[in-house]
Amino acid sequence: MENRSVALSEVAVLIEAVGRGSQVALKRLYEVESKRLYGIALRIVRRPEIAADVLQEAFVQIWQHAAAFSAERGPGAAWLTGIVRFRALDAVRKAGREIPSGDPALGDEPLEPDVIDKIGASADAEKLRRCLKLLEHDQQRCIVLAFVEGLSHSQVAERIKAPLGSVKSWIRRGLLSLRRCLEP
Amino acid sequence: MIPENPEELQALAGEYVLGVLDKEEAGEVAAELATNAELRRAVALWEERLYPLSSIAAPAEPPSGTWQAIEARISASVAKPTSQSPWNNLAVWRWSTAAFAAAAAGLALWIAVTPVPGPSLVAVLHPPQQGQGSWIATAGRSGLALRAVTTATPPGDRTFELWVITPGTTRPRPLGVIPRDGELTLTPLPPDLRDGATLAISIEPAGGSPTQQPTGPVVFVGSMNAV
Repeated sequence: MENRSVALSEVAVLIEAVGRGSQVALKRLYEVESKRLYGIALRIVRRPEIAADVLQEAFVQIWQHAAAFSAERGPGAAWLTGIVRFRALDAVRKAGREIPSGDPALGDEPLEPDVIDKIGASADAEKLRRCLKLLEHDQQRCIVLAFVEGLSHSQVAERIKAPLGSVKSWIRRGLLSLRRCLEP
Repeated sequence: MIPENPEELQALAGEYVLGVLDKEEAGEVAAELATNAELRRAVALWEERLYPLSSIAAPAEPPSGTWQAIEARISASVAKPTSQSPWNNLAVWRWSTAAFAAAAAGLALWIAVTPVPGPSLVAVLHPPQQGQGSWIATAGRSGLALRAVTTATPPGDRTFELWVITPGTTRPRPLGVIPRDGELTLTPLPPDLRDGATLAISIEPAGGSPTQQPTGPVVFVGSMNAV
């Protein structure tokens, strides 16, 4: 468990303080994490005012549930990310999401083929990158696209112009291979 | 349908975290999370596994005023309440002697088998009026452990949530959703869990109360006392 030191990061300590009811800790957590989390939400919901709502809802939820967070369960930043992504996905599902076409002319940012080379230098990121690279190309592409842009099965299919059934099976088999690779 | 086959469950949890499920499928998983510990573990692990991918999204400055909006909502939820606290009407202290004796017998056993270092607190939680079931909470420096003494299951897709009311305040603070198996552990010990604090369990929608306050009925209540 070489990465358990991550769990003792400032973020994990702050979350535990928030869990004990500290508003000061929540403010500090916002200062440390809001840009990263807002960027994640914005990429999924694509509209600044909705992303701001998502961030707001997420921090209220963090305030309410921080007491249940345990540093032993995993890195605090991953826990926060899960909450923000859940809120963002909920917002796009409710609104009936627009599908980013990936066309830069429409303000969409396409995912470059080498995008997984940019996922950070931590040991966890290194391991995930190695395992993603072992997947079939279609599996890897669908998983990364779905995660980063928060697309549903049918939206991934539409976006990459592939049959829905194929997309579902690429993602499913890709996820199960990833799990085997990450947990030998 | 939530699969029981472990591999199927893993795949579904992964699809849920990835975000590819449609509204109905995702809603089904979300509803099951409050009560299915296996699924909850699988989702947490997927969040951890896939987390490095989140760094692909470029950080951006949130609109000004976002923190102020959060702060306003947090402060509203912890502001001094009015005298119309939902807790004032509860017959908190009217435990039946027989029920207390039965629970205390269980309590003695629980203390005997659970080493709790340092100063210890215990609470026995009962239905405020009539009803079945009770819970025991023990707390020490290392944290709080809550468990159901008799089987208690929330109705339908609802969930139990644990709350604390500190002496001198009347506003409950959420401590967490109680897993379906009836055992909840909190570490470290929340500082407002001290002698004389009241613990209460309410029935909430799957995933816990959407507000900072109980939205469903309070079904068990008890007070923490030093032993």
